[in-house]
Amino acid sequence: MIKKFLSLQWKEFTRSSAFQKGIAIKILLIFAALYFGAIALFAGIFLFFGIEEMFPNEDPMVIVNNFIIFWFLIDLVIRYFMQQMPVMNIKPLMIIPIKKGTIIHFLLGKTIISFFNIIPLLIFIPYSIVLLAQGYAPLHVIAWFISVMAITQALNFLNILVNKSNTVFYITLGLLATFAALEFFDIYKISEFFGVLFNGLYNHPYLVVLPIVLAAFLYYLNFDYLNKRFYLDGAISKEIKEVNASDLSWMDRFGKLATFLKNDVRMIWRNKRPRQVLMMSGFFLFYGLFFFTQKAYDDMPAMVAFASIFITAGFLFSFGQLVPSWDSEHYKMLMSQNIPYRKYLESKWYLMVLAVVISFILSTPYIYFGWDKFAMIAAGASFNIGINTFVTLFGGALNRVPIQLNEKAKAFSNTNGFNPTQLLIALPKMLLPVLLFYIPYFLTDYNLNAGIITLALSGVLGLVFRNFFLSQIEKVYQKGKYKTIEAFAEKK
Amino acid sequence: MITIQNISKKYGQNTVLKIDTLDIPKGQSFGLVGNNGAGKTTLFSLLLDLIEPTTGHISNNGIKVHESEDWKPFTSSFIDESFLIGYLTPEEYFYFIGELRGQSKAAVDTLLTEFQDFFHGEILNQKKYLRDLSKGNQKKAGIVASFIGNPDVIILDEPFANLDPTTQIRLKGIIKKLAEDHQVTVLVSSHDLMHVTEVSDRIVVLNKGEVVKDIVKSEQTLKELETFFAGTAVEAFEEE
Repeated sequence: MIKKFLSLQWKEFTRSSAFQKGIAIKILLIFAALYFGAIALFAGIFLFFGIEEMFPNEDPMVIVNNFIIFWFLIDLVIRYFMQQMPVMNIKPLMIIPIKKGTIIHFLLGKTIISFFNIIPLLIFIPYSIVLLAQGYAPLHVIAWFISVMAITQALNFLNILVNKSNTVFYITLGLLATFAALEFFDIYKISEFFGVLFNGLYNHPYLVVLPIVLAAFLYYLNFDYLNKRFYLDGAISKEIKEVNASDLSWMDRFGKLATFLKNDVRMIWRNKRPRQVLMMSGFFLFYGLFFFTQKAYDDMPAMVAFASIFITAGFLFSFGQLVPSWDSEHYKMLMSQNIPYRKYLESKWYLMVLAVVISFILSTPYIYFGWDKFAMIAAGASFNIGINTFVTLFGGALNRVPIQLNEKAKAFSNTNGFNPTQLLIALPKMLLPVLLFYIPYFLTDYNLNAGIITLALSGVLGLVFRNFFLSQIEKVYQKGKYKTIEAFAEKK
Repeated sequence: MITIQNISKKYGQNTVLKIDTLDIPKGQSFGLVGNNGAGKTTLFSLLLDLIEPTTGHISNNGIKVHESEDWKPFTSSFIDESFLIGYLTPEEYFYFIGELRGQSKAAVDTLLTEFQDFFHGEILNQKKYLRDLSKGNQKKAGIVASFIGNPDVIILDEPFANLDPTTQIRLKGIIKKLAEDHQVTVLVSSHDLMHVTEVSDRIVVLNKGEVVKDIVKSEQTLKELETFFAGTAVEAFEEE
């Protein structure tokens, strides 16, 4: 039976739309997978030596154990965002004489080999090998390795169980933030507390049974949960949420565009995929923290300019690049309704501008790092509004990937961003502003203001040509209209 | 109202639609029948400029649909569920369409009260998103949405499919009423010969992409259609 399931899965995988794509994308995907794999391997090997170098007086193993709790918490948060729940087309199997248990075991077993469980393998296998080579006791190392893997699996099953609950997610995130703050501000050495636990696992190999029992228990809970709900109206049914319709009539002041803006706000609010994108784009706001806090970048204003663009561009980049795709589910209707193409594009443009403005307002705390930094962010925002919105919209015309709004993006089978044209278009979005900043800066004998002013002016100039740009973009969209409709009509 | 000139649609070598000329006058209630793959949806998609014609053109009120967007304000349609916005409630969807067609909220509300019977209490105030409604109820919402904003041309693809018998009868009543005053041009396709003959003034039969019958409705029409399709069934049987 399992063999049949595996063959079904194999067909699903090889016949999935991700695999039907061009050879170029396949190669890119393979490279990306190799790249991440290599990074993980590298991290695993150098984890030990890196720590040894930084803290020559301490045992690297102890340090790893002290901080591994953070790894697990981050793991859980990322899983919440990215990991898809195990779905298999169960419906056709329900009426076939196969034991329920077999199907559920297979379904759960499938999740064991997910991407999120392979990355830890790639890190901790080389790390354990290094440990063995360094003369750590084999029994202890192996038991510790098994413990870590068992905890990873436990997290996997925990995530499946609680994935529907936002509360658990916020608790995890809260814990992570609290632990990090306690640790960082030297209030309480949380790492030592958890260190005792994980070092204990290492020092007493027989304790390996604890994480294994934990994983097995969570597996059982999942099995039980699914087994009791193995009905059409049970676990496999779509959850029907009662509508909470918020009144958006205050948006009517935006005039004609209000119709579309209201719709887009609802789209973002009520669907999993755009919500995910919205949250992700929030992270861009913190991009400046990486660059502004590092002394090394003080002498590299080009890098600071690069970061400044990103701070206000989160939503613009992540949402904007999929512009017509967001409406793929009802694109035919939009194309035959009483909407001129121009209006449709304009409304999306305003949405992106609005997002940049909001990000800019939210970025005011960066004044703390100095007014020059904030001026840079302002110039970046200007560029984003005046140039990048148009480049992004233009890129959207070449993007014909249908999106299922109410499903989360899958890690790595989501090739939307891997479209070669998209990559080409992403380049000017990031490099052009850096050049616009750096060339005047360089020519004026390293005058920061020259760069900032040029960057800001370029945005204003773009706005002046707004109508021209929009007309050109509209033409591209019109030209691709039939192809886009056809592509969006394809079943995913 | 609608003039079809020399239209054809090919996918590779395969011709799925070929109509030399077809004229639908204003106010006519036009029925389109044919087996699966006869080209009904293709014709409607061409009418709405959703696919590109291989040759020829279609004019809607004198406007070539693939050259200008000006036919959109007076044309409305419901082809399939992709015409609905799944994450809206039916009310929100109706108001959205209303706004697109320049109708106030109050005007939409007035129109909706006319369809209370048709909705059968399953559409409005359900606190459900369109994507969570059943197929039949989705269809009801989509059909009614196509009546918003006093369109001159209404295109409905398979409106009777997936509807329960009561709703089918009510829908026939609605379409007949629309056709009565001869202001609105209604185009309806169906697999159900009885329904389509009941609501249409004129019936065109498509077979393998070509018009094989074009009849003004009379007493004998249903019989004639049944004989024709029974004939193609025999033909298909013999071919096997």
